[in-house]
Amino acid sequence: MRLPLRELKWLRKAAADANRPLDALVRRRQQGEPLQYIIGTQPFGPLELSVRPPILIPRPETEHWVIELAARIPESARHLLDLGTGSGCIPLLLAHLCPALSAHAVDVNPAAVTLATENAARCSVTRFRAFQANFLDPDFHVHAMLCPPYDVLTSNPPYIPWNEYLELPDEVKNYEDPRALFGGPSGLEFYHAIARLAVRERFLSSDAIIALEVGHDQAEAVGAIFESVSLRTEAWTDPWGKKRTIIAYRGT
Amino acid sequence: MSTPEDIARLRQLKESEPLQKAWDEWTKTKKSLEDLKPLLSDSDPSMRALAAEEHEALDGTLTQLLQSTFPSLLVPPSTTASLSALVELKSGAGGTESSLFLADLLRMYMRFASANSFRATVVAENENEAGGTKDAIVEIKGEGAYDAFRWESGVHRVQRVPSTDAAGRVHTSTATVIVLPLLEEKDVQKEDLFRMEDVKIEVMRARGAGGQHVNKTESAVRLTHIPSGITVSMQDERSQHQNKRRAFQVLSARLMDQKITREIAERRATRNSLVKSADRSEKIRTYNYAQERVTDHRIGMSIMNLTSVMEGDALQDFVDALKKDHEETLMEEMLNDQCD
Repeated sequence: MRLPLRELKWLRKAAADANRPLDALVRRRQQGEPLQYIIGTQPFGPLELSVRPPILIPRPETEHWVIELAARIPESARHLLDLGTGSGCIPLLLAHLCPALSAHAVDVNPAAVTLATENAARCSVTRFRAFQANFLDPDFHVHAMLCPPYDVLTSNPPYIPWNEYLELPDEVKNYEDPRALFGGPSGLEFYHAIARLAVRERFLSSDAIIALEVGHDQAEAVGAIFESVSLRTEAWTDPWGKKRTIIAYRGT
Repeated sequence: MSTPEDIARLRQLKESEPLQKAWDEWTKTKKSLEDLKPLLSDSDPSMRALAAEEHEALDGTLTQLLQSTFPSLLVPPSTTASLSALVELKSGAGGTESSLFLADLLRMYMRFASANSFRATVVAENENEAGGTKDAIVEIKGEGAYDAFRWESGVHRVQRVPSTDAAGRVHTSTATVIVLPLLEEKDVQKEDLFRMEDVKIEVMRARGAGGQHVNKTESAVRLTHIPSGITVSMQDERSQHQNKRRAFQVLSARLMDQKITREIAERRATRNSLVKSADRSEKIRTYNYAQERVTDHRIGMSIMNLTSVMEGDALQDFVDALKKDHEETLMEEMLNDQCD
């Protein structure tokens, strides 16, 4: 496999920066390892995050909606919760862009919690705490580390349905954590759990904003899930023209 | 803490420093001449000779002050003195040899920038698969960077035997350099160069399902400024956000360049000035490797040490001479204004 010139340039820089042999990096890339894991970082907005397998690599679609969301979060918002945080990209960028926010982040994988905590230090975001928890757990809402009500709820939950999971490129399937990708048979399992949390008494503040990334053809279904619990929703389009983000509001 | 007024005052003080210095030197020299007068008619012949010698030296200083120092102080301070620069290089006629030459120019500018304590970063670069660089954009940060580089705009011509020519024939190739004024991000808004709603932002390449389904790096971004038709594509950075930032930086620089050009044209039109304006399609310099010679066609100046120019050292001589030429043109314009 011949590498695109631009990838080669990035690898060359990574090799020079960390004093690593270039041919080893190129070989890893040729074997299909994601560029971001080889380099070890991924820029996300103005931040530069550490990434390592198998924690989900932050995607450009996510970067786009998170920057848009930062502009829409009211100045009165104080507490944010991110579900399934991975590298911590969403809460860290929001806390960076909205200085009044402090963020809690959870992930089922302790390795993600470690990475997100490391990234907070790397980006000098102090108003941040990540901890291990499974938000599908029926008792999640009473987890000792949580301190509701939250003003902002974000998530890029696993949303790939079973049939599409099997079709994923090797670059994704062989390197990134299935727990960050596989959204159950329908791909929608996690949205149901998030909708239940969103309408739970005093879990969110009365004018909270909820922002969720969705798969390429899920906007309508996810919108319907949140409307069925009487939340107002809208869909945001990503730069490639896909409806990528469902925004749900508790207020009127 | 210094207030904005303090900073303005300090700047004014600093700008008037050369004036004060020239005046001090003038009065000091005049005084020395006065003090010397009695000694010119001293009874001791050796003392008289010494005084005459001294007199000549002081006279020379005064002449120098009158003929070059004072006029140069008349040149209005450059309105672009504080700006950094964005240098765009594009290979032209000559295929791979043009790309190889462009890589040499790029190296020359990087070295010249660092010798002048500017911070130079290659922000975009397209390598030529057969060798050299097809095009590049370099950010040169630091006060005075634009004024130092601005005269590099134009077509640069090279005459040499390319390393790729086995037959050893001399080729003539060209590369185009465009130097743009670079504003600080906070100053872009003040200049009111564009409205956000006039800029179309597009991502390039399809991403299929996108999101979690794809982890390929797709960060290329293209901006189109609809009123002017300027388009900027950027793909050197690994994130869309960074490429977008870079693209806006280039767009602002191009619009600022148009603004400056427009202002100069307006000023000249009101003055009915005959001064020729810089044309970017004009061949400004020839690099002749066989003769170790670099000639700047605008001022008819040749440097017989091509190696030193390409190392960025002797380039300073061209830059200084072009700056002086520009100042003399400005002075002529001022004098013509007086006569009207």
